[in-house]
Amino acid sequence: MRRREFIGIFGLLGLLGGATLWRHLTLFWRPSFGERTVQTVTAVTDLMFPGEGLPGATALGVHNRIVAMPDFHSKMTNGVDWLDRWATNQGASDFLALDEGARLAAVGAAFESDDDDARQFIVAIRYYGVLNYYSEPVIKAAFSYTGPPQPEGFPDFQDPPK
Amino acid sequence: MKSVADWDAVVVGAGAGGAATAYGLCQRGMSVLLLDAGPRFDAAVDYPLTESEWDTRDFPEKAGSVGSVTFAPGQKLIGVEPLLMSGSKGLGRLVTSGTRWMEKYHHVRGIGGTTLHFTGESHRLHPDAMKMKSRFGVAADWPFDYAELEPFYVQAEALIGVAGPSAQGARWRSRGFPLPPHPLSYAARTLGRGAAMLGLDWQANSRAALSLPWHGRPNCNHCGGCNMGCPRGDKGSADVTFVAAALATGRCSVRPDSPVLRIEAGSEDRVTAVLVGHPGGTIERIPCSHLILACGAVETPRLLLASDGLANESGEVGQNFMDTLEVIVGALHPDPQHGRRGLPDDAICWDFNAPDAIPGVIGGCRIYNASAENELRGLSGFALRAVSGWGRAHAQSVRRWWGHSLHVGAIGESLPNRNSRVDLDPDQHDQFGIPLSRISAWLDESDVGRLRFMAAKSRELLAASGAEEIFESYSSWDWFGATHVFGTCRMGADPATSVVNADGRNHRWRNLWITDASVFPSSGGGEAPALTIQALSLRTAEKIGKDD
Repeated sequence: MRRREFIGIFGLLGLLGGATLWRHLTLFWRPSFGERTVQTVTAVTDLMFPGEGLPGATALGVHNRIVAMPDFHSKMTNGVDWLDRWATNQGASDFLALDEGARLAAVGAAFESDDDDARQFIVAIRYYGVLNYYSEPVIKAAFSYTGPPQPEGFPDFQDPPK
Repeated sequence: MKSVADWDAVVVGAGAGGAATAYGLCQRGMSVLLLDAGPRFDAAVDYPLTESEWDTRDFPEKAGSVGSVTFAPGQKLIGVEPLLMSGSKGLGRLVTSGTRWMEKYHHVRGIGGTTLHFTGESHRLHPDAMKMKSRFGVAADWPFDYAELEPFYVQAEALIGVAGPSAQGARWRSRGFPLPPHPLSYAARTLGRGAAMLGLDWQANSRAALSLPWHGRPNCNHCGGCNMGCPRGDKGSADVTFVAAALATGRCSVRPDSPVLRIEAGSEDRVTAVLVGHPGGTIERIPCSHLILACGAVETPRLLLASDGLANESGEVGQNFMDTLEVIVGALHPDPQHGRRGLPDDAICWDFNAPDAIPGVIGGCRIYNASAENELRGLSGFALRAVSGWGRAHAQSVRRWWGHSLHVGAIGESLPNRNSRVDLDPDQHDQFGIPLSRISAWLDESDVGRLRFMAAKSRELLAASGAEEIFESYSSWDWFGATHVFGTCRMGADPATSVVNADGRNHRWRNLWITDASVFPSSGGGEAPALTIQALSLRTAEKIGKDD
């Protein structure tokens, strides 16, 4: 850190208080893809697929399948950075410090953003989250006509759905 | 080097055309070697419809079953076409680049070819669609008429066990379909009520799926999964129909995993052999008395062009490429439908199928219950595409609307133009060093006009059926995802403007024949091509070897 930045940060300390500085410093020092990124991706997945009377996505391990996709890691890192920046602009330390309503607003803002990384992050979590969550046997079992179509076929194909 | 052929004929490609040709030749007592670049599929093992995760899988890919092609840059999209822009409520717009997205040529290599994956619609061409040049001034005429092809349609339908209605308008029949039509599904009847309100005829589609047991195969149990491979064998794919019948004669040898790399030409205007590639790079030379190409409208011209431009005296090999002109619209109905129950694409409207049926545009279309082609086959696909957003509202909407979707599709005539072609990619090669096919596809204004009509009619039908909210629409305007392709080795009487004659024989090379959709001079008004390919193949098989 150069001297001018150091002085600038302490100037901020006077203006905004130590908590704000701490938020910025933790952002600055965060590892590129580690536990915090995983925690945030997990939180976003939980938020997007809460279950509503059924098990939520994280209870079914959907987040683990998403974070296990190495091709998606840089997108996740950039997306989490964007969400954390959004949160700090709202006065929170990071995305994880937000309540549910603010988290939804952050995710919505990322999706609507002109920032391609942010938008692609949400699109990808939604895409892989939906595919994984709604393919879970326990979720499919809660909906009609979701089982394998063979070997029985659909003997009732001419009738109103059950 | 071996110079004597072990078989009377070598057929390259074991899909709709090659399998029917092999069968026709074997029926005449000829011995046939049927080669395919792809593998043999085992219906009981390979197809996913009995698996719990069936809805996350597609038609299986096996080693060698997917050929590579490349695409010339997509056409620049001009203007705003609100009815034609592809996308869904859940995923947003599919194409935002401003150019047509050249996504995929849907093609299966293997014993049975793309019929393994096809829905199984079994259509005869509209008779007028075979006279597009003389009657309407576009494309080219077929060198014979519907009456010439009709007996071969009858033969093909009998072997497959096609189930269909008693009449299909202009496409007259000398004999009824072998099997009665399938009853319409509940969702198809919902659409039928809308069609009736619009004054449209809405009838059972003719299908290569058995409505009753036929020649040892069971009847269809209406699982809706034709595109993922039929594990029962009731779908009339070429492997369980023509290939099985050819093998039963004892005169056919089938060889999967045998890509033909090159055709060897000899003296006296005869081809002499094909070169087949094997894993590890070895090349096998197989002498031919007669060589029949049936690799489809993309791979057949590739093989000819890669054989030093064989059979291209006219310069027409690879030209006149015709695309799949298609629209699919999905909407939510207030009442549950669960439209996946039943035979896919089980109902159809032929009212706009004649070449002059669409006001202001030459070339027809058909409209149908598109319960298969949309790939909305399971809960996850529905949640992804039909419902936008996420969170509690998304979960509640998925629960509210699951099973309420209806889809209407339209497929229309694709007219040839000089910008649409298949040629060899100068930069991309396969594992044997053979250049890949490069597809250039271009839509003229008349194609776009036809697409607009198809989209508007599809939406009208959904609305008349009670569907209230359109949640997705896809069209060929901005998205190339062709399944039906035609025209690249056109059939005709004039050697200067066509590649093969009316019998399917090349104008120069006397023992070289083609039996796939590359010979089609016109595409038809949205008819599925497999049955016409098979009828043509049976007709060509009657000509081979008779006068030389």
